[in-house]
Amino acid sequence: MGSVERSKKKVQLWKKAVVHFSLCFVMGFFTGFAPTGKTSIFSANPVFATSNKSHSTPQPVEVSSGEANSRSGNVNRTLAETPVPVLVRSEELEESKQQRRKEESSKITSRKLVIIVTPTSAEDRFQGVLLRKLANTIRLVPPPLLWVVVERQSESNEQSEILRKTGIMYRHLVFKENFTDPEAELNHQRNVALKHIEHHRLSGIVHFAGLSNVYDLDFFSHLREIEMFGTWPMAVLSANEKNVIIEGPVCDSSQVIGWHLKENSEGNADVDTERKLPIQISNFAFNSSILWDPERWGRPSSSVQGTSQNSLKFVKQVVLEDETKLEGIPPEDCSKIMLWRLQFQTGIAAVEDQTQREGRKL
Amino acid sequence: MKIWMWIFAAFVLGFAWSIAAEQGLRTERISGSAGDVLEDDPVGRLKVYVYELPSKYNKKILQKDPRCLTHMFAAEIYMHRFLLSSPVRTLNPEEADWFYTPIYETCDLTPNGLPLPFKSPRMMRSSIQLISTNWPYWNRTEGADHFFVVPHDFGACFHYQEEKAIERGILPLLQRATLVQTFGQQNHVCLKEGSITIPPYAPPQKMQAHQIPPDTPRSIFVYFRGLFYDVNNDPEGGYYARGARAAVWENFKSNPLFDISTDHPTTYYEDMQRAIFCLCPLGWAPWSPRLVEAVVFGCIPVIIADDIVLPFADAIPWEEIGVFVAEEAVPNLDTILTSIPPEVILRKQRLLANPSMKRAMLFPQPAQPGDAFHQILNGLARKLPHDKSIYLKPGEKILNWTAGPVGDLKPW
Amino acid sequence: MKLSMLQQSYLNRRTNSFRSAGGPLDSSSDGAIKSPAAIFWLVLHGLCCLISLVLGFRFSRLVFFFLFSTSTSSNMYASPFRSSVELVKTLDVHSVLPTNPGKSFELPVVNKTATNSRVVVGRHGIRIRPWPHPNPGEVMKAHQIIERVQREQRVQFGVKDARTVIVVTPTYVRTFQTLHLTGVMHSLMLVPYDLVWIVVEAGGVSNETAALIRKSGLRTIHVGFNQRIPNSWEERHKLESKMRLHALRVVRERKLDGIVMFADDSNMHSMELFDEIQNVKWFGAVSVGILVHSDNSDESDQKQGEEENQRMPIQGPACNSSNMLAGWHTFNSLPYLGRSAVYIDDKGTVLPRKLEWSGFVLNSRLLWKDAEDKPNWVKDLDLLDEDSDSPLSLLKDASVVEPLGSCGRQVMLWWLRVEARADSKFPPGWIIDPPLDITVPSKRTPWPDAPPELPSNEKVVINLPEPTVKHTTTKTRSRKRSSRKRKHEAKTTDTQVSTRHQEQN
Repeated sequence: MGSVERSKKKVQLWKKAVVHFSLCFVMGFFTGFAPTGKTSIFSANPVFATSNKSHSTPQPVEVSSGEANSRSGNVNRTLAETPVPVLVRSEELEESKQQRRKEESSKITSRKLVIIVTPTSAEDRFQGVLLRKLANTIRLVPPPLLWVVVERQSESNEQSEILRKTGIMYRHLVFKENFTDPEAELNHQRNVALKHIEHHRLSGIVHFAGLSNVYDLDFFSHLREIEMFGTWPMAVLSANEKNVIIEGPVCDSSQVIGWHLKENSEGNADVDTERKLPIQISNFAFNSSILWDPERWGRPSSSVQGTSQNSLKFVKQVVLEDETKLEGIPPEDCSKIMLWRLQFQTGIAAVEDQTQREGRKL
Repeated sequence: MKIWMWIFAAFVLGFAWSIAAEQGLRTERISGSAGDVLEDDPVGRLKVYVYELPSKYNKKILQKDPRCLTHMFAAEIYMHRFLLSSPVRTLNPEEADWFYTPIYETCDLTPNGLPLPFKSPRMMRSSIQLISTNWPYWNRTEGADHFFVVPHDFGACFHYQEEKAIERGILPLLQRATLVQTFGQQNHVCLKEGSITIPPYAPPQKMQAHQIPPDTPRSIFVYFRGLFYDVNNDPEGGYYARGARAAVWENFKSNPLFDISTDHPTTYYEDMQRAIFCLCPLGWAPWSPRLVEAVVFGCIPVIIADDIVLPFADAIPWEEIGVFVAEEAVPNLDTILTSIPPEVILRKQRLLANPSMKRAMLFPQPAQPGDAFHQILNGLARKLPHDKSIYLKPGEKILNWTAGPVGDLKPW
Repeated sequence: MKLSMLQQSYLNRRTNSFRSAGGPLDSSSDGAIKSPAAIFWLVLHGLCCLISLVLGFRFSRLVFFFLFSTSTSSNMYASPFRSSVELVKTLDVHSVLPTNPGKSFELPVVNKTATNSRVVVGRHGIRIRPWPHPNPGEVMKAHQIIERVQREQRVQFGVKDARTVIVVTPTYVRTFQTLHLTGVMHSLMLVPYDLVWIVVEAGGVSNETAALIRKSGLRTIHVGFNQRIPNSWEERHKLESKMRLHALRVVRERKLDGIVMFADDSNMHSMELFDEIQNVKWFGAVSVGILVHSDNSDESDQKQGEEENQRMPIQGPACNSSNMLAGWHTFNSLPYLGRSAVYIDDKGTVLPRKLEWSGFVLNSRLLWKDAEDKPNWVKDLDLLDEDSDSPLSLLKDASVVEPLGSCGRQVMLWWLRVEARADSKFPPGWIIDPPLDITVPSKRTPWPDAPPELPSNEKVVINLPEPTVKHTTTKTRSRKRSSRKRKHEAKTTDTQVSTRHQEQN
């Protein structure tokens, strides 16, 4: 402050002023440290700093024009947003306010990610319908949820169109390989999905959902409770059959104490559990981190390298090796059925059914 | 006493100025949202004379490689075609405000489709020699009323590596000309004062064909498709995109909200239309076609390129429609994006829905009012009338015809 | 107060650049010329105080920035304002660090030097943040943003002034009920409009059905119909028609206002259907895709299946070239002649009626006794033949039907009938009790020194793999009874239902 020295009459005044200023400066200095606890003005909207004019209050339309006026004169009218009926807007506003209040209260509930893997096949003539139906269920599951749909690359974009309209957060994976054996294709599809999860190191509970599965919505909240591996009973319903087939774990509380499986038509009961998975693919879910962080689960990472060609096999292997980590859901003795499968004699459902029967024979 | 008061007031004012200026530097990367400029009609405001050059400077080159019509730098070709039939064109050079030299200097592609601008300086030099000997207009101003379309990565520096480009600097012969280029970064030797920054070329018909209904629910939070590491050209990492793209991948690959990947799906355009934010990080150059795609598809561009000068920044309110994230702040991208209030996001989306913004980003065939061609002309018209000082005195010479690397001086 | 003033001035400056910051200063200096010097000094003094406050504040942020930033880069353009959030973040991380030592940190590699030029050509560090992510709170916030954006899209592009959707569903307790009805229920739960779901249950209102539809959270009207579902498909179709008419009477009695649609419990819906039916004025028809469930038991059927692969049979309105209703597409049942199912137990294919109810929607005012603008081509509900095959019998003239869904070209609704055999049984309420037989024993061996009692805290049991002696692999072990009251209640009621159900069959 060069001007200070040159003043002679007002030395006193200046001194006072300087003291005030420095006081204020010090005050400012310390308030600068305060906002760690009081970050609202900064942290709530960090973008404000980057995009200069995002200062809107809840009324977007008014604000935009008001803002425009406060800026320089050459702001155009054409830039104003595409017109929206004002009536709807205000209603929406009210709604949004309420919504926000609701959001605020629900903010605390952060949930685990659920990753649903669904392989589809163009050979299945019901796939479009069943995909929509499954999508309707998945849409109702509270976020975060990621739906991984795997399909062979094709000219038709029917699937993409259906998925796009659902509003679900999904990833549509395609592969180029051709398969003559539908079972091999299905396995490949699952592996493609697992590869994606592994590559991205996505962390969540992975569940394979066939297109003909029907879920009780409670199922998904139970799914989120799984630590490492979860399993549950499933009812398989077939047309014109007398018997309902229920397969899955028999539990005490959430502990799996055995399996209830339909005996194979071929007769030989599944005794040799060492080599085969007693459960169907839709019967269990697992924590995806086993794919990319096996050490966390007490497994040497080298085993992943060895099985990197077939993640699915790897997962099955891990489940079998340590049944103590299996949790039965729901925790009340796994006694509530929350998953049904409709057995069609057509397309992918039949294939899946077949695979699962094969799976037990492996 | 009074004087003192004034001095003090001036001091305070100056102080405020300095603070404001510092602020301004950051926020006024874009010099305001004079968006109505987008609707301007350039016809009648300027006249352009198109030099007639031998076809070896343009048409023949294109014949050799038709791929030039579809790559990101195709603006130089379409601008020529547009001007030939534009009402602003004049056949009388005496009444022209601007002179245009139709030369396709970027149309030299490797088998992979990457443009190598090694021949461009010689070609440029040869064409300027030609027009300066055949017409009197170049010598009158030494190019100050001429404009050139140089859409390459680093504009008229004519090199694909930034370091080399900076070393070379803008071609000496173009020092006085107005450059129309996609490259834009503040305080960069390859961006001259007064250049017009344009969007890269994106195929309008193809984009049109992939439009999906606007009511398709936006279900992707952040979308990006493209390279994170350029292993071939940057094996060490950290040069490409100044490390920003790699940081995006390393920090957010495991975030389910970030739909990021290197493979381009067939539904790329559709996916952009169902995304809320589209990342537009720098690559080798600060700009990328994603900017155009994001605006056209109504996805809020998240611009990660420090000090980028955006296309038509004087006409498009980039600050209003996009989100700017410093390269340094990439690890906080999720925090930054999730803390934008929903109202702000909706407002940005409404602005993006404005068709004039989309038009300004495209080079459609045939041209439409308000498209990128018209924005270029508007930009040129806003520079009129020319300052009297651009006209040289008889005998005066400013340009040094022998400056620059020896390789550039060889005949083309 | 001081602080808020500070913030205000700070915000002002942040939002506007020079213009607004300069504005007040300008005016104050202008005022000084007119007003006495004292006031001027006071104002000036105050102003300077404020400025030094702000300066101090900024300075402190700078210090803050230099002190705590993990990155060694001190580029000035990363202004302290911009990075304040990041700083807070970084600080948080530092405090978090010791709590999860298992994580390996990749500290940011930064070799960027502070330069005057903003363009730094050369190698840059790849910044990898050390704290774990994604942050669950931010994930939820992002989902809220997505939801908000989608809601806004619906407001902008969706149906304006939507009418209530009144859904009529006939059902009855059976093995496939849960499977079918859940699907329909999920579709209805997604409908973004007001919705009333009238569920008509054959054999009277059952707890089973009530429990199921209660889960939807929708406005439901659950009415019983005092007749059991017969065993032949023909009879079942007829009874279902009666049940639907019964529901229509409910609509009339309660004067429900909206669009009535018929959703069988085994229908499948595309969400676009619910938007499309909002376009109906009085009486509309949509196309229904028929999913024919065929048995692959014999060879000829397989061939059949391949043929069907080409095109899914569709039932619904047919239009002429000028998009006017010209007739109806009906299901061609000829290929199934002699192989179609007559009884629910039959193995054959279940065929649809000539025109299914689910392909029609109507304005509920058509049903009201005294609607003002009711057209005269509608018959009174009471005069209707109880055996009416389709809602077309409500009309005196079928030409008034409005074909919906691009004149029937768009299929948004599918029909499928599959049932288990009528004598099939299922666990009541789908709760398995008594437990299933163990066919494959768990290979886990019991722990010899485990406590004989189960820990009282169930949560612990879930988390700790602590097998007790009780966990033998035999099925004769004594099972721990859940003490949950709720469960017991559910069980008792469900058993009642199931016994009734069984005697019904």
